[in-house]
Amino acid sequence: MTTRLERTVTYGILALFSVIALTPVIGILSTAFGSQNSLHTGFSLPEGGLHWSNFADAWNRGHFGTYLGNSVLVTAAVVAATTVLAVLAAYAFGVMRFPGSTVLFYLFVIGLTLPQEALVVPLYFDLRYAELTDTYWALILPQTAQSLAFGVFWMRTYFRGSARAVIEAARIDGANSWTTLWRVLVPMGRPAISTMVVITFMWTWNEFLMALVMVSGEAHRTVPLGLAFFQGQHSSDAALLAAASVLIALPVVVVYVALQRRFIEGMLGGAVKE
Amino acid sequence: MKRLLNTAGGRRRAPGEPRAIGYLYILPALLLYAAFLLYPFGQAVWLSFVHWDGLTVATSAGFDNYRDLFTDPALRAPFAHALLLLVFYSALPVAIGLLLAAALSRARVRGMTFFRTVLFLPQVLALVVVGVAWRSILAPDGLLNDVLRAVGLGSLARPWLGDYDWALPAVGVVGTWVGTGLCMVLFLAGAQRIPRELYEAARMDGAGPVREFFSVTLPGLRPQIAVALTLTIVAGLRNFDLIYITTSGGPGNTTSVPAYEVYHRAFETNQVGSAAAVGVALTVLIFVLTVTVSRLVEGRRS
Amino acid sequence: MGRPRTGSRGIRRRAVPALLAAGLALLATACVPGTDGSMAYGPGGGPATAVPDPAKAGKVTLTVWDQEIRGGTNGELEQLNKEFHRKYPNVTIKRVARSFNDLKTTLKLAVSGNNPPDVIQANQGYPDMVSFVRAGLLAPLDDYAGIYAWNTRYPNTLLNLNRVSADGTDFGTGRLYGISQTGEYIGLYYNKDVLAKAGVQPPRTWGEFTESLARLKDRGQQPIQFGNLDKYPAIHTFGVLQDQLAGAEARDTVLGRGPGFDTAATKDAAATLADWTKRGYLPKGANGLGYDDAAKKFSSGDGGYLLTGTWQLADLKKAMGDKLGMMTPPPASAGAAPVTTGGQGLAWSITSRSKHPEVAAAYLDFITDEHAADVMTAHGVLPAVPGAAAERVKPDTVDGQMIAGWKRLSAADGLVPYLDYSTPTFFDTITAGLQGVISGKTSPEAFAATLQKDYGAFMRKQRERHAAATPSPAEPR
Repeated sequence: MTTRLERTVTYGILALFSVIALTPVIGILSTAFGSQNSLHTGFSLPEGGLHWSNFADAWNRGHFGTYLGNSVLVTAAVVAATTVLAVLAAYAFGVMRFPGSTVLFYLFVIGLTLPQEALVVPLYFDLRYAELTDTYWALILPQTAQSLAFGVFWMRTYFRGSARAVIEAARIDGANSWTTLWRVLVPMGRPAISTMVVITFMWTWNEFLMALVMVSGEAHRTVPLGLAFFQGQHSSDAALLAAASVLIALPVVVVYVALQRRFIEGMLGGAVKE
Repeated sequence: MKRLLNTAGGRRRAPGEPRAIGYLYILPALLLYAAFLLYPFGQAVWLSFVHWDGLTVATSAGFDNYRDLFTDPALRAPFAHALLLLVFYSALPVAIGLLLAAALSRARVRGMTFFRTVLFLPQVLALVVVGVAWRSILAPDGLLNDVLRAVGLGSLARPWLGDYDWALPAVGVVGTWVGTGLCMVLFLAGAQRIPRELYEAARMDGAGPVREFFSVTLPGLRPQIAVALTLTIVAGLRNFDLIYITTSGGPGNTTSVPAYEVYHRAFETNQVGSAAAVGVALTVLIFVLTVTVSRLVEGRRS
Repeated sequence: MGRPRTGSRGIRRRAVPALLAAGLALLATACVPGTDGSMAYGPGGGPATAVPDPAKAGKVTLTVWDQEIRGGTNGELEQLNKEFHRKYPNVTIKRVARSFNDLKTTLKLAVSGNNPPDVIQANQGYPDMVSFVRAGLLAPLDDYAGIYAWNTRYPNTLLNLNRVSADGTDFGTGRLYGISQTGEYIGLYYNKDVLAKAGVQPPRTWGEFTESLARLKDRGQQPIQFGNLDKYPAIHTFGVLQDQLAGAEARDTVLGRGPGFDTAATKDAAATLADWTKRGYLPKGANGLGYDDAAKKFSSGDGGYLLTGTWQLADLKKAMGDKLGMMTPPPASAGAAPVTTGGQGLAWSITSRSKHPEVAAAYLDFITDEHAADVMTAHGVLPAVPGAAAERVKPDTVDGQMIAGWKRLSAADGLVPYLDYSTPTFFDTITAGLQGVISGKTSPEAFAATLQKDYGAFMRKQRERHAAATPSPAEPR
């Protein structure tokens, strides 16, 4: 039924859009290996060999070593806290019945629509008052709260879907709710949990506004913020800027390529699965 | 930016028997969530009713800050820009995604995993990186102008981000780039779940590709369209990163958007109350648009 | 926590759409810490009477925020920081450098934050320095100015630009809140090769300069290189144009006693800017070209002239060598007194909550004294007060041209402050307006009216403040 022409057109379209999606990425990659002396402010092709030294230069001049360390710490803390808290709360929402559970759950869902822009202003003044700005806490706590909205929503869907029979069986075996959760449901729910983990990881790693407002010194700066300031200082050094961009994007892209199914599933919020 | 809204299913009754212990499980998450999300939002609402420079004593403003949203051109413009940007961030990606899903739904595609990975890639890149890449593409001697000159359209070449008429669409195109892959992946997945028989039946009725699209594909993709619109609208209204990196609202104020205006007012020009009002208005806008979308497009539940 | 007293607030709150009922429930207790002004600090820095000795201060880390990221100033500052540390090994300088725009956007957050830097570079005028002083974030330096003889080191015209009245109302008078390291003026850089190829001599008068633009254009050269994506460069270009028409008037306006911006000079200067763009004297699409990119283009031979600050000299010289020339914007008639936009670099200030104001003051003195001036000269940077090394610079080099220009400008009182000092919002107003003029979207008349609207409103507010302050003499809060 599928004609040859149709197939060709199909692949043609897919290829075209793949090229469009990849052009900026490849442009940055190619510029990152280019010569720093290039006058071109746009993308450029590496001439005279690959200039690996750009990465070292960006690393040293932009202090990206420190920033990557900060990003890793903040991201790890947010992901860990979100996972534990979201699993606990979603478990209750998913398998227990108690007064007010619906209202409380919707309270969490609201968080999915609240834009950070509305929160960041009071948050800044609160945290400054608590003397927490310019600390890791100022990045970790608000971002965990924001990730919880998604985490609770996502994990509740999983707990809802997990077989009642399994829970019943565990109870008959004499397991209480705590052991049922950690011994039975969490191991079973690894796919759902890992989706939540990668999504939270990506959001936190890429977060910019919160870092811009909460952190003013160098010591706690995360990589997206580092790149923004690096651009301010080296706006005409296309090669260095591109190398820095690659350094920042790489961790997320690597995880994404390895676990793309989890990413897509999580970001589309179960719409595909439903 | 990408925290998403979902049509949380209010289905049936919650299973399981009553257990007060549930509160204990919820408590830690709720405490953190209330302290760092709900409470600050309440404060944002409160702040939007005061005049405050962030440094000295605050004074009551009544509805001044909200009235300014409608009367002050410097505040009206960002919201107008945001709505125009939604065409690029939301409408275009959904339209392109639909067209492609329609074109592709007839054939079985090998290597779909590869294409999906590539098409979805823009979604996972930090917007700061996306901004840096596109600033380069849209530069006066950037890729776009080079291509235009190469194909003999050099007269169209311009400094896109510095052009009064073109800066906003140029920033919009970046949004289209980010969002299109998401919509395509969503719709392709959805289209594959439309029963083949429906297409065969339509064809037996003598439906051409156009009628097939409107009578089978489009209705079959309703839920996906709702999700795509919701995700892209929310992303399009929270585009602080991109504006900060590419134009900072310039040239003039042609690309100022509410998300940027909040930061600019709160932390640069000492108008904290006004910034909070913009933030609250932005929240309301997102809320209204997403609810409208789920009502209109999804239609099935109230 | 004293919330503002509002009789009708209770009623109004109920009128708020019950969008997020739960979120609003928390509102009852919502009160942002600090809205009662508890974060405002009184001027700090205890009275100092003797020259402080940083060596006795114990182990000190001095956090310094600056925007000296260009070759010349970056190099000079790094050297001075190193020397300071060598002189006082107990003092470690923690330097945070970022671009002018990034510093401008983040400084307010930093100085009002919990760990403000000890020393910052603050832009003079109402947008930054005055608003910091009003919030009590900067320490007055008058005592140190006496101890270290800054009062005699700098001419008053320069010192005054770093002054703010004690109540934080007026700029250009009152207490000293910073001192500047570098002198600055907007000069006319030229590429000798490009000019020679077009048969153009370096201009001696403004007329020769404008004629040469047409000639360069005819010969297929870009007459003036210019990039305004960063918004602020046009202030300099426009400033120079306005100064040629009415420099003294512009200076009075910035200092709050002039005729304002709805003037013939403002309109004519804006018209010239638009005209230059239309004729292609300024590159097409300058609004989309970065400031640094434009400088890079000029130094690679694309462009006959570059109208920008002395801070660019070191980087340009490094790339262009002998091809680079520089002068003050040529006066109306040959040999007449020059006039241009400029003054001094961003002020180095001490924050009021610095734990080591005396060490900070010693640092300020160190990076601005005679030795520092010589270090600057060695790095191709123009010191605010040129020292012995500046005397030895050969007059036919580009550094010599720069120093000679500075001396002529100082002697002729030909420096007009940057226009963005004028009001708290003027940086935004004028940069947006100038991008409009350059794009042809904003007419010179509309541009002048926009500036005047901002300026006039601020002047009215200032008059009200003064009127309110007259009965009781202004006291520091």
